[in-house]
Amino acid sequence: MSVYPVGVLFSRSGGYSRPAEQGYFGALAAVADINADDAYPFTLEAHHADPKGNADRYAELCRDLIRTTGAQHIVGCTTSWSRKEVIPVVEKLDALLWYPCVYEGFEVSENLIYVAACANQHLVPLLDHIVPRFGARAFLTGSNYIWGWETNRIARDILTRSGGAVLGERYVPIGDEDIDHLIEEIREKHPDFILNNLIGTSSYAFLAAYRALGMEDPAFRPENCPVVSCNLCENETTRLGEDAAGHYTVSSYFRALASEENDRFAARMKASEPSRVADAFFVQAYAAVVMIAEAIRRTGSDAAQDVLEAVRAQETATPLGPVRVDRGTNHVNLCAHIGRARADGDFDIVHYCRETIAPDPFLTATPLDRLYATMAADARQLRVVR
Amino acid sequence: MSPTLAHTPNFVGWRALILHRPHQNVDALMAQCARIGIAADQAWPTLEDAEAMRGYDVLLIDADMGHDEQFPWAPGLAPMPMIALIGSEAPGRIAWTIGQGADAQLLKPIGSAGLYSALVVASQGFLRRTAQTEEIALLKDQLAKRQVVAEATAILMLKHNCDAEAAYNRLRKTAMAERRSIEKAAAGIIASFDTHGRTNVTNGR
Repeated sequence: MSVYPVGVLFSRSGGYSRPAEQGYFGALAAVADINADDAYPFTLEAHHADPKGNADRYAELCRDLIRTTGAQHIVGCTTSWSRKEVIPVVEKLDALLWYPCVYEGFEVSENLIYVAACANQHLVPLLDHIVPRFGARAFLTGSNYIWGWETNRIARDILTRSGGAVLGERYVPIGDEDIDHLIEEIREKHPDFILNNLIGTSSYAFLAAYRALGMEDPAFRPENCPVVSCNLCENETTRLGEDAAGHYTVSSYFRALASEENDRFAARMKASEPSRVADAFFVQAYAAVVMIAEAIRRTGSDAAQDVLEAVRAQETATPLGPVRVDRGTNHVNLCAHIGRARADGDFDIVHYCRETIAPDPFLTATPLDRLYATMAADARQLRVVR
Repeated sequence: MSPTLAHTPNFVGWRALILHRPHQNVDALMAQCARIGIAADQAWPTLEDAEAMRGYDVLLIDADMGHDEQFPWAPGLAPMPMIALIGSEAPGRIAWTIGQGADAQLLKPIGSAGLYSALVVASQGFLRRTAQTEEIALLKDQLAKRQVVAEATAILMLKHNCDAEAAYNRLRKTAMAERRSIEKAAAGIIASFDTHGRTNVTNGR
């Protein structure tokens, strides 16, 4: 039986290890599932390299994975910063990077498959849900790198074009937990909601401090001024408990999504490792491996260009739903569900997305004047009355 | 760290002309154009009807083989942003693209990225250059008309027996009332002034 190597490039330590490790576990779970399934007349062999959260290590480790194991496919990278480091390597060696995390967009590489949402599939539907309910005056936060900068810039563009306002915008270095100044500024400026593009430990420290602020002043409780995120998932909310409860996340996958298939998938993942939570970061990496395996099964080859053609030509069934790679952008159609975190870490689905959203990485087909300014004003008034 | 571009640039509906011989680089550019909503045409060395070039929103010109005769305008007078496609980084070829008015460059071989940022840079550069050219023309015109303003002020000083400051204020208010520039209002005052046969009022011309 043929054995195909697959590179797995995720950090298991460092400032954002929780979501990154989810990618690692998701990829390995899928490799195990493929290898146990007789429908695939081959086995995948996972080779893991750990950059330990250091952006400068990714390119080198990716090159090593491709050269020493012969892997044509690398599933990996969590931050946009690390992805940008890896792109020249996969383009030069003509391998494929399967990037399974939400990101800010404005990128299309021929050697990348984007198996997660870009801004029109996360931020835009998130604002569409939040602004009419809470108001259009936002406070923007983020970790100090491209994801936060660009996501907040798009949010600012949308809000100012739509009659809203940005009351403040603050960044902290990745891994930094010193966020008192942020809390002070929010207390002073009284926004309608907070857009959280902090990642990892900074995000956890912020949510804990914000909960303390809410205990002092009910105006800063989630029902009055929520923290909304595009990437805060179950693996994190489960450990954050009350700190995250009541706040909102947009995602193409939630464990709580009700469907027979998803129930079976979630139960199976839980049975194989009870302490592990299959969240979006996990499922997107899982889906990437399934797409690779399905393409190899169809074409009998793991060559990058053959696999790319196969995933473009035909849909693949994944826990994210059926996905097909868009020929023009190498992105996939995805749903944008909105969830409100509970203290047990699961999400109540407050908006169920029925139709997938086509990827628009350069925001050319997505109107940014959302025309919900009047709705937002109404929302504020209603809340004052209540 | 704060973003300098307030609005997300959008090139949907733009038309691009790639002046380059048929090549893989052109295919890669066509793919990048399609991705960001731009309809692209290829031609080499020029369009059959060169004047039709004026209908494009952006030109991508070939630094390696390009020459002045490709364009129906003099170097530097392109009425749209230009992006230079550079293979050989020879100073002479780069200088040629600058002379044409290319504000942005893409290095060959063209891969799957780069066009978007080049477009943002080129279109901003073009807007800035156009605005500056207009402003410079306006300032030059105002400079040339300083004498007219001085003369009109002198006329008003005579006519109303006032000092220069009061006369200039009158001139300014006249311009505002007539909704035209000070220079034009001044010209009007000079034209309507009856010198009663004296010539000294224009001796300074």
